[in-house]
Amino acid sequence: MSGTILGLHGLRKSFGETEIIRGVDLELAAGERRALIGPNGAGKSTLFHLISGHLAPSAGTIAFDGLDITGQAPQRINRLGLARSFQITNVFPGLTVFENIRLAVLRQQPRPTAFWQRVDRLPGLREATEQLLERVRLQARAAALAGELSYSEQRSLEIAMTLASDPRLILLDEPMAGMSAEETDYTLALIRELTVGRALLIVEHDMDVVFSLADRISVLVYGQVIATGTPDEIRQHQGVREAYLGEEANAQVPA
Amino acid sequence: MMRTSTFLLLGASALLAAMPALLSAGLLNAAVQMLIAALFASAYGLLAGRAGMLSFGHAAYFGVGAFATVHAMNALNGAGLLPTPLLPLVGAGAGLAFGVVAGWFATQRSGTAFAMITLAIAELLHALAPQLKSLFGGESGISAMRMPAWGLSFGSTTQVYYLTLAWVLASLALLHFHTRTPAGRLTLGLRENAHRLRFLGYDVHRLGVSAFAISGLFSGIAGALQVLANEAANYVVFDAHVSASVVLNSYIGGVGVFLGPALGAALMSFFGYAVSDATQAWLLYQGVLFVIVMMFMPEGLVGLGATARHRVRVLGPARALPLLAAGMLAVLLLAGGTVFLVELLQRLCSQDYRALAATAGAWPPVTMFGRSWAAASAATWAWPAGLLLTGGALMAFARTRLLAREAQR
Amino acid sequence: MDTLLFGLLNGLIYGLLLFMVSAGLTLIFGMMGVLNFAHASFYMLGAYFAYTLQHALGFGPAVVAGALLAGGVGAVVERFFLRRVHHHGHAHELLLTFGLSFIVAETIKLVFGNFPVDYRVPPRLDGPAFAIGAQQYPLYRLLMGGVALLMFVLLYLLLTRTRVGIIVRSAIHKPRMVEALGHNVQLVFTGVFAVGAALAGLAGAVAGAFYTTSPNMAVETGVLVFVVVVVGGLGSLGGAMLASLLIGVMTSLAVSVDRSLADLFALVGAGAWADSVGGLLTLKLSSLAATLPFALMLIVLLLRPQGLLGEKN
Repeated sequence: MSGTILGLHGLRKSFGETEIIRGVDLELAAGERRALIGPNGAGKSTLFHLISGHLAPSAGTIAFDGLDITGQAPQRINRLGLARSFQITNVFPGLTVFENIRLAVLRQQPRPTAFWQRVDRLPGLREATEQLLERVRLQARAAALAGELSYSEQRSLEIAMTLASDPRLILLDEPMAGMSAEETDYTLALIRELTVGRALLIVEHDMDVVFSLADRISVLVYGQVIATGTPDEIRQHQGVREAYLGEEANAQVPA
Repeated sequence: MMRTSTFLLLGASALLAAMPALLSAGLLNAAVQMLIAALFASAYGLLAGRAGMLSFGHAAYFGVGAFATVHAMNALNGAGLLPTPLLPLVGAGAGLAFGVVAGWFATQRSGTAFAMITLAIAELLHALAPQLKSLFGGESGISAMRMPAWGLSFGSTTQVYYLTLAWVLASLALLHFHTRTPAGRLTLGLRENAHRLRFLGYDVHRLGVSAFAISGLFSGIAGALQVLANEAANYVVFDAHVSASVVLNSYIGGVGVFLGPALGAALMSFFGYAVSDATQAWLLYQGVLFVIVMMFMPEGLVGLGATARHRVRVLGPARALPLLAAGMLAVLLLAGGTVFLVELLQRLCSQDYRALAATAGAWPPVTMFGRSWAAASAATWAWPAGLLLTGGALMAFARTRLLAREAQR
Repeated sequence: MDTLLFGLLNGLIYGLLLFMVSAGLTLIFGMMGVLNFAHASFYMLGAYFAYTLQHALGFGPAVVAGALLAGGVGAVVERFFLRRVHHHGHAHELLLTFGLSFIVAETIKLVFGNFPVDYRVPPRLDGPAFAIGAQQYPLYRLLMGGVALLMFVLLYLLLTRTRVGIIVRSAIHKPRMVEALGHNVQLVFTGVFAVGAALAGLAGAVAGAFYTTSPNMAVETGVLVFVVVVVGGLGSLGGAMLASLLIGVMTSLAVSVDRSLADLFALVGAGAWADSVGGLLTLKLSSLAATLPFALMLIVLLLRPQGLLGEKN
């Protein structure tokens, strides 16, 4: 699989007087796993909001597989094959886990808003839902209410719902936030498994995850990408070390 | 579980079908109004309970259905194009059409703003209606006659009852079916997390309009049924109190369960009919009940049964039942005290009494519950005071014991 | 020209009254996210309290007492009702205040009767202020406008120049931070609610003497107040002022226009046709005056859903 699946060019976003994204250029190849790291407040979530259509940019363009999706509505962007997860779990709390995933998978049916036939009669819907349930290993919790799941179970559900549309590009926003080491390892394996053949853009603070998962890493500082490269390149990068460790620390650390 | 509920449903339907044999003409008329209120509340419940979209102006769709039907009755004049039993289709169509238009506007916003827009749309109609006399008939409204069709005259209350029952049962069945369709499941998604639906690829505005429109459709049928029953439509159907009462009925019943609004409406309708001769403060009682439900039983009266069963299961019948009984007794005492107080105040504040007191120079006795009470005597006021205090104390006692027992478990 | 001036003045004053009621609602909504359906009930209560007390206290003190009593009811509502259901969410609070407004209206019908009461402007205030052309302009209308303006100025000063005001404004944006700084945020909430209610009560006490005081007051004014906050933008005081004045002037001027759409069509020679169509086309603007605020609301929703001065969210 070759070709650029995501292209950000000169992307800018201001909120009133404050410019959060100050000119971002980024290209993601199909099937590539890119981690987006940077200090707090760098604008990583804002970037995700821009790409997924939640916010419209103040300037610049976003291209998805050659198509200009700048300023498009979230539902349109999702239909094109781009799905995102949320930093704060964003599921249907009063519905069962099964129903949560089913609603996500339903969108792929030819007539998802049908009112003349029962939902359990739609061909393939149950199978697709159960398949996804198994892939995120939540079959045992299928009948539980999403709001009553444990934190990491909810994160797994979140990922499942993101995958339901069989996207070509997945945006994961801090999927491991607040997890124990065990849960992190588990979720890392899950993500690796589930993103085979898809492009992945992941925001994460856990550096172990980032260095082990990503093909390449982009570093976002103050709304600009200051470096893009392989994990090794980033580890050595002067600007990155300054951004994270400060200039004095940099002076003391041997090259 | 499935078996018991199907059995109950069949039993209820059989009972409803047998009503004309059991009730007098007056009561049968009241039953017709009860059915209509139940359908209206169920239509409302689809939007407010399942989609989570609070509408405060639902009288608009009921009224539009009503007027469309009354015009159809007059225009078609039983000419065979649309026989009487099929006239509610006109109400459905009008409710659907207006629901789409109004819904398109209203769903531009969500939550509180949405609620206010629905209120304003209803008020717009209410203000406009008296001006458009050809459409809405002015003060006296528009009347029409039920025409014979299919070998029936539709002149008797019994036939009107069966017509209404058939349409209400069919509509409830359709509404229930809707909950099992993809559209129905998406409606739940709207309530739970409309934001996420967007990122799952759904056009949330469209979904909202569709839920609104279906609610409008069935509200329109309810309006049509009322016109068929009363053979008249009047613009007071757009009144704020029609919108208010469907809200009250639905939440008192409980919007979380499919039949909750219908049961709430039937109950309130029945009580309204039963006590409206005995008291002038019926609406006040309804309002108080609504506030109490919102504060202490947010799942509505339907939820009461579930909570009670849960308590018995958790604490064991020996512990739970006496406390539940105490709670029920407390409710009766509090209700009794409130009713006493309100009825007393109502009589003391009425114009006739005030005139009487002015001429007599003192406070004459009042007649209440078939007895005469001295207005200024402590004995009279001791009754509500006593009932309220004992009821309140018993309720506080039952609640603290219940909560303590539950905490122990 | 005189009718225009009259209409304009009337509209401005009515708009100011509307603002008095909507200001409290906007503040409460901005701070607590609660849309108080019962807000117009405080307006009605103010009128009825003042009416009851006016013989005992005299008109002026009765008006003040009415406002204070309405504020007291507001404090009780917030403390004992709203606070209890706060954790159930906004929809729940909205429904609860809806129920409370219903109870207030029914109780008033119970105590005072289901018809307007004889609450009138006292004779000494019931005269002309000045003349516009051949007509006299009523003194009391000017008084109403004056009270509203005074309230606006005092509120503005209170919010921007005093310590209490700063605390209130901060609590609107970041209640938990304000609490962390040691202020009793619960008290602030109750206070704002009570002040909002008192403002509405004052408007009612003052306006009720001039317009009709009946159990329907709350519904009629309430809907208009909601239109004001939707048009102005939820949570924006400036928006509420702008929308109130706009609606006040628009309604007031429309009432004096005895023309219809058919007359407009007549300008292009299609008058006869428009007359034959009838219905909406022959309705005079004066009869439609009551529907104009709703039409304005629908237009604003189409073109600028967040309201005139509201924030996109």
